[in-house]
Amino acid sequence: MGNRLSRIALNDEGFIFDPETGNSYTVNKTGLFILRLLKEGKSEKEIVKSLTETFNVDEREAERDLIDFVEQLRLYGLLEGKNV
Amino acid sequence: MYRVAVSGINAVDNPGPGVGIAKGLKESSLNVSVYGLAYDAMEPGIYMKWLFEKSFVMPYPSAGEEPFIERLLYIKSNYGLDAVIPALDAELPLFIKSSSLLESYGVKTFLPTEEQFKLRGKDHLPKIAERIGVKVPETRIVTSYEELSKALEELGFPVMVKGIFYEAYKAFNISQATSYFNSIVSKWGYPVIVQQVISGEEMNLVGVGDGEGGHLGFLAIKKLWITSLGKTWTAVTVRNDKLFSLAESFVSNVKWRGAFELECMVSGSDVYLIEINPRFPAWVYFAAGVGVNLPERLLKAALDLDVERDWNYPAGKLYIRFTDDLITDISEFQQVVTTGES
Repeated sequence: MGNRLSRIALNDEGFIFDPETGNSYTVNKTGLFILRLLKEGKSEKEIVKSLTETFNVDEREAERDLIDFVEQLRLYGLLEGKNV
Repeated sequence: MYRVAVSGINAVDNPGPGVGIAKGLKESSLNVSVYGLAYDAMEPGIYMKWLFEKSFVMPYPSAGEEPFIERLLYIKSNYGLDAVIPALDAELPLFIKSSSLLESYGVKTFLPTEEQFKLRGKDHLPKIAERIGVKVPETRIVTSYEELSKALEELGFPVMVKGIFYEAYKAFNISQATSYFNSIVSKWGYPVIVQQVISGEEMNLVGVGDGEGGHLGFLAIKKLWITSLGKTWTAVTVRNDKLFSLAESFVSNVKWRGAFELECMVSGSDVYLIEINPRFPAWVYFAAGVGVNLPERLLKAALDLDVERDWNYPAGKLYIRFTDDLITDISEFQQVVTTGES
């Protein structure tokens, strides 16, 4: 997959630890939800669908938020591949 | 019972590694009595009786080999001494030079060769980096104002200005760089190292080379919080394959013998080697604390005992240093000052 998501440790409170860099981050409930799906290798479409089903958002908003979030992950080097 | 002397017991704001080494030895499977080697009667380790059974004030290595070795042999003949683990850069050349002599008296060490020691010097970093195939920041070795300004012109700002043994400062302009240069020269002499600043994650690795191209274990950390002197205060264990292969390449190419610390900058997928220290770092107890007791392993190697080599420590273990205080009687201090030992 070429990204670091597969190896990061993620707990239920949204604390992320990257064992390769030693960096840690916190994410909110939605971020945690997305990260778990990304870790499972879900596609952008599947994640957007899950977001609309779980949270009170329409498809466009979910898609926009997902793109934003994924960009953040790239910025922090947590996502390197182009899986989404 | 093995009697081992450890130096660097100055557990102050810029701590030596001695206390960490002693903690590792005390937690080892060996029955060890640790002696502290100090250069001042105020070094805190002297008063930490739960770690150092006895302590001795040493002559400065700069006073020459003879008084230094005599002092060690005094300890040997009066109290017994099986091994020494020196932990300060400035005393290493003397220990390396005298290792066979000490061995002939039954005092074991586990140190790099003189050639290896010189090779890891800050002024040789580009050479060793080429040999082990790793990137280093652009480095200039300067011994005059002319060379300094040439280096600054070539490297630009900010730039690191470093002493050959100690001290490193980040300079943002010519006047800062010149002032650091002057201050370093007055304290440590020439040459001064001028180095490109690499931005990224600072990661360090401690290990013990077996002298045959292998090693007795590694531990890699990322510093999370440092003091104003740049010393590690909190850190977390990491497992970074690029860092590990750099360290493996170092020990196998140089056949490093003894303790070492690699200071690196990890920038994306690049790893830069910033410095190689020829001894344990002050945070070495971290290794012992996560099950890779490097001080114990080094001692076993020095004593020709069987040594463990596993180093499968977990990432995400946290190291926290803290200050502490203790109360004792002035007579303790008095004894160290008047007799040179506690």
